[in-house]
Amino acid sequence: MSKPWWIFIAGATVLLAVGAIVWRENHRPWQAWQERYNLQPNVTPIAIGIKTLVPTRTGQPELCLTCHVGIEDISPSHPATAVGCVICHGGDPLALDAGRAHGNMHGGGNPSDLSVAMASCGTTDCHGGNADPEQNHVTRVLHSMPATYAGGIANVRYTFGAQASPAAQFAVHAVEDTSKPLPPRALTSLATLGTLHPIDAQLQQNCLTGGCHLWSPAKSEPYYYRSTGCATCHYLFDDEGLYRGNDPTIPHDQPGHGIVHRLTTAIPFTQCNHCHNRGTYSLKQMAFLPREDLPPAGPPLSAQMPAEGRRLVEYYQPVGDFTKCEIELNCIDCHTAQEVMGDGHIYGAKPDAYYVQCQTCHGTLTSAPAVETIRDANETAMRQARIDGHADFLSVGDQVVQTARGELLWSVKQTALGQFVQIDKVTGTTYKVPLVLGSRCAQDGSDQSAKYCHQCHYVTR
Amino acid sequence: MRLWRRNKSLIYALHPEKIPASGARLTYTFGLGGITVFAATVTAFTGLALTLYYVPTPADAHASTVLINDIASFGAVIRSLHYWGAQLMVIAATLHLVRIVFTGGYRPPRELNWLIGLTLLVVTLIWDFSGYVLRWDNGAFWALLVGTNLFREIPFCGEILYRALVGDTQLGASALLRFYGWHVIGLTLIAGFGIVYHLWRLRKDGGISRPSLENGGTPAFVSRDTLLFREFIAVALLTAALLFLATFFPAPLGPAANPSPGTSEVRAPWIFLWVQNLLRAIPSLWAGIIIPLAVLGLLALVPFLDRRGPGRGVWFARARWKPQALIALLAIIVVGFSLREALR
Repeated sequence: MSKPWWIFIAGATVLLAVGAIVWRENHRPWQAWQERYNLQPNVTPIAIGIKTLVPTRTGQPELCLTCHVGIEDISPSHPATAVGCVICHGGDPLALDAGRAHGNMHGGGNPSDLSVAMASCGTTDCHGGNADPEQNHVTRVLHSMPATYAGGIANVRYTFGAQASPAAQFAVHAVEDTSKPLPPRALTSLATLGTLHPIDAQLQQNCLTGGCHLWSPAKSEPYYYRSTGCATCHYLFDDEGLYRGNDPTIPHDQPGHGIVHRLTTAIPFTQCNHCHNRGTYSLKQMAFLPREDLPPAGPPLSAQMPAEGRRLVEYYQPVGDFTKCEIELNCIDCHTAQEVMGDGHIYGAKPDAYYVQCQTCHGTLTSAPAVETIRDANETAMRQARIDGHADFLSVGDQVVQTARGELLWSVKQTALGQFVQIDKVTGTTYKVPLVLGSRCAQDGSDQSAKYCHQCHYVTR
Repeated sequence: MRLWRRNKSLIYALHPEKIPASGARLTYTFGLGGITVFAATVTAFTGLALTLYYVPTPADAHASTVLINDIASFGAVIRSLHYWGAQLMVIAATLHLVRIVFTGGYRPPRELNWLIGLTLLVVTLIWDFSGYVLRWDNGAFWALLVGTNLFREIPFCGEILYRALVGDTQLGASALLRFYGWHVIGLTLIAGFGIVYHLWRLRKDGGISRPSLENGGTPAFVSRDTLLFREFIAVALLTAALLFLATFFPAPLGPAANPSPGTSEVRAPWIFLWVQNLLRAIPSLWAGIIIPLAVLGLLALVPFLDRRGPGRGVWFARARWKPQALIALLAIIVVGFSLREALR
């Protein structure tokens, strides 16, 4: 080849290489995500460019929103402008490469997984390390029965002769409570379930996997989709487990994602149903027997089936008494934060920890429910009302129902006329709360089971 | 053109007026020495660009690398060019050494230049490793931990050497600063002077080695204009190749260093995979210090194993079998153990 040919070939190759660089510089993965975001219906298109967020709490720039453009603020209490992404999720705040950005993350996509929750949700000044143990939510949950599964383990081991009494000794992961004094029936510690007895291996296999407790991921099937740890309850999934938000990086057609990137304390019964209304636990077979009467997951059940069928599907089946209730409340309207997330102490059986009963709000034949006055805008009850999104329901000076353990039920207050009113924490619907006192109710104060009260108080649906 | 006429004497100074054709043949040298110099130049200039953003502190080292890589305009390409330039330099320098052995380019009076070249190869390897460390990602941190702890295995003076290298009793800010200083200034100065001296020595020793006339050499010469043109084309094609590599195979970078144990699998940079594999099998003083030094010592012996006789300037001359057998043996060992580690 002659010299000009060589010069032409060499020059053309260099130009091609430079062209490749320029092309690459303008076709980076994050640019593709932003273009995909702009293609979505119902969004205001954004200018393509690196998006920098400097959360006030850290003052350190984060570029996560460059790809996760359009992701929902996790909650009004955790606005991205204040908290950012990295405090909770970890990862590399400056990286625009998916692999590197997501290295060193807390718990993958879910920083509230109990294996990492202390390092994300539970850091000091957040949900851990506070002087008021009530605000150390992560410790409370780690000690709670949904996390220890102490009662379930004890029941199975006792039934199969692996332990002499039904008292709880074991948990999914060992826990210890050093606080003093302990409330009645609280335990000092539980050991990690090992393989002391031949049935323990089977127990581990059948009952501690597949979503039986907060440590364990759920089955990846319609109706079962949920997260783990704190997000098990606070991060809402629909029956199909599909993401319906605006973050282009979260696949919209792959199940296993929450509805939107949002934490809530106003948890609807549908969320509880992902665990608690999906079948029965057979002691005899040491197995979970899934329900077979659920229609295919898809459109809301109200559009799919008549009212009574829907209620049977939606409401907790094993104790059908709930389906007869005169009004439709959400689970959390009675099962308070102290009951569900625990009071920080370790219990071995549900009756030891659960204490809200019908009479807590309806009173007894001889007395109205106990009430307590709200004195401070920052006390727990007021805070809970605010966080649940019903700040205007409650104000300082209101009288609210107080449980036998002293917890204030912010959602049930006594009006100036002496009447009791309850607000549904999820829907905001208010109900009058009828009292036993002065009614024709033939209450037996010693039997407060759902079955007993719903003998009379039921409607046929 | 006027600029060219005015300055061509400087460029012409790179080569003698006439170069023996048999020494300048592409299939004789494969231009490996030149490629090494080219790679070193690319690496030096891209490295200069990287210093404009890189911050050598444990808190900011990885973050500033991420900034270069992900945010700065064309930062990823420049960093990748630096990376690929460095890898090309290691490969070309090693192959250059192999070429010298197989064509007998170490024969007297070139013993000294062989030793200088060998030193430059060692400098290149340390340069490469110290650059790997500056990423301060998880892999680099753990490789540095293993690498520096090897010094502690040396009897009597191990701890002192470790302190001199790391500047502390453990890895941290001073270690990073020292590696940065050596990488950016110390090794650059040594390599720069070394390369110039290597080239000057080459001219003094009679230019590129070549076969004697009775060994197939020709009395023909090529002009330096021809050689310069070839070099110009080669540089252009190599530049394009590096640019393509940098564009489509970006330099690796892992997540930030996490000093809590068990967070990462330790992976040496590819040039030291063979040492890592040896470390798994035998005591670390032997695998990490004695054997590598022994390999180096054997290589230093090459020009003294074979000093005279036929075969100069001829590929694979049978008369010079001793150094060739040695280098083949060393190559099999190094490549074999590297592959063993890579395929684990």
